[in-house]
Amino acid sequence: MSAGLEIGELVVSPGGGSPVLRGVDLVVPAGRRAVLVGPSGAGKTTLLRTIAGLEAPDSGRLLLGGVSQLRVPAHRRRMAMVFQEPRLLPHLSVADNVALPLRATRVGRPERRRAAAEQLGEVGLDGFAERRVQGLSGGEQQRVALARALCSRPDLLLLDEPLAALDPNRRESLRRLIVRVQERHRLTTLLITHDRSEAAELGESIALMLEGRIVQHDEPRTVFERPGSGAAARFFGAANLLRLPGEGRAGLWTIRPEHVVVGSGSHRARVLEAVYRGTNVRLILDWDGQRVEALVDPTAAPGVGAETGLELPRERLWRVDRPDGERAATGERATNPWPAGPPRGA
Amino acid sequence: MAEPLRQRLTQAVLVGLFVVPLAVIALQAVADSWRAPSLLPQQLGWRGFEVAFGTGGAASAIVNSLAVALLTTAICLLVGWPAARALGGRLLPRNGLIALLIALPLLMPTYLAGFGLTEWFIRLGIDGTLAGLVLAHVVLALPYAILILLSGFNRTVDELEEMASTTGAGPLRRLLWVTLPSMRPALGAAALLSFLVSWSQYGSSLAVGAGRSTLPIVMLPFVRSDPQVGAAFAVLFVVPALIALTFAARSQRSPL
Repeated sequence: MSAGLEIGELVVSPGGGSPVLRGVDLVVPAGRRAVLVGPSGAGKTTLLRTIAGLEAPDSGRLLLGGVSQLRVPAHRRRMAMVFQEPRLLPHLSVADNVALPLRATRVGRPERRRAAAEQLGEVGLDGFAERRVQGLSGGEQQRVALARALCSRPDLLLLDEPLAALDPNRRESLRRLIVRVQERHRLTTLLITHDRSEAAELGESIALMLEGRIVQHDEPRTVFERPGSGAAARFFGAANLLRLPGEGRAGLWTIRPEHVVVGSGSHRARVLEAVYRGTNVRLILDWDGQRVEALVDPTAAPGVGAETGLELPRERLWRVDRPDGERAATGERATNPWPAGPPRGA
Repeated sequence: MAEPLRQRLTQAVLVGLFVVPLAVIALQAVADSWRAPSLLPQQLGWRGFEVAFGTGGAASAIVNSLAVALLTTAICLLVGWPAARALGGRLLPRNGLIALLIALPLLMPTYLAGFGLTEWFIRLGIDGTLAGLVLAHVVLALPYAILILLSGFNRTVDELEEMASTTGAGPLRRLLWVTLPSMRPALGAAALLSFLVSWSQYGSSLAVGAGRSTLPIVMLPFVRSDPQVGAAFAVLFVVPALIALTFAARSQRSPL
């Protein structure tokens, strides 16, 4: 049975060095799928390893189904982890790799084989049971690793960039598989990726980690369109951080490049750069000394040096440097995008 | 056609390089009479082995050597495993310095190492005992065992152990399911080398053995005085070594 994950003020210093996690707060309710994103070195993997019991925290709370996990050794936590590499045991068959968690709980061999075959079917590897793991492709190996994780029927599934080592096509099908499997079992899931669009596709919620803290945790649309800070805006590709003229528009504002309207509008801007990118053209515009990035249709793209109209639709603009009171409110919501309140058990 | 032929030729040459010298020694061991200009012995017989097992005392030397070598191997693996684990996991400060200190006994002649040990063995009352011999051999074999095991404890092993703990495997199961299978080639090589270092040990055995016979000690005088007996000893010497080598080679088919 799936259980909710609750983390509070978690501080972790791997190997006794300087802290990598500096007070992490994160809530994933039972059965939900959260994605953890952030630049490399932000501490994403350290957080996952700490949840799994592979790193010991200095302080903080870590609860699964309302029960503290801090004194539970890794092999007794009701969690499963899929690593960036498949980490299969080369001297065992595919089925024996998948059934490894059952062997640990002393399930008999016939039952293990049946469960492994069923699990392999679920990840699309029917008939692979007796194969040796060395002969499998990278994508197949990662599917075996996923089957192994599911085989233990964990309360929490952790995935550390499971798609990073795969080529785009395999990545796509494994991504769909992860979503399908998660939804079928309603498994509480926390997945790491460094790919923004992958995060939007995979996550029911997205938690952004910067320098050892979760700075924003919201629904995908919110993090992309209403980033909580300039740094969050930059990470989610809202490259435009602008000061706006006019009454009541103080502060720093952001708008996503795809929402900037070029060609018509009340402002004038000059095209500094135009890069054709297949499905669109990326324009860099000079707007009264401010740099504005825009993505436009290739058929409507002005050339370099051209003067063009510019419109920043009011409903698409979002102020990122909120005054203190407002920021606190955002911060509170940041640890739980689901209004139902903190989860307890399943 | 040319490629397989060349391959087989290369194989034949390589095998010849190993087999011919051994064959010559084996022939010498059963040559009761083999005078100079002749390519083959004039008379074959068992005089070499009869002398080796008679006045040579080969039987007790073999028993002694085997006992010492097997004990040395066991101790090297048991002590070398945690040592290599600690060094490989960088659990200690000044890792490199410690590794260098461990390798120090390899840098001096074995007789000198044995000579230094003897003084202490006399004080401790273990000179000339089986335990003394084993201890002296462990000093010389352990560095090899640790260095080989160290190469086995790599990142892959750590990663697989982590994976196993997230699938619910406790410390004992991790050892049995992951660590031992992954370390099989390194364990095989470390065991082989520990065994051979002890089995062929002359210098330190001479120093600390106080006359306790091991195979190299009883063999050497005959190599000069009676080549046939020397060759018979050499055959007795090489057989267990070959058996150990075969076992170790089988463990080299790594699962990783």
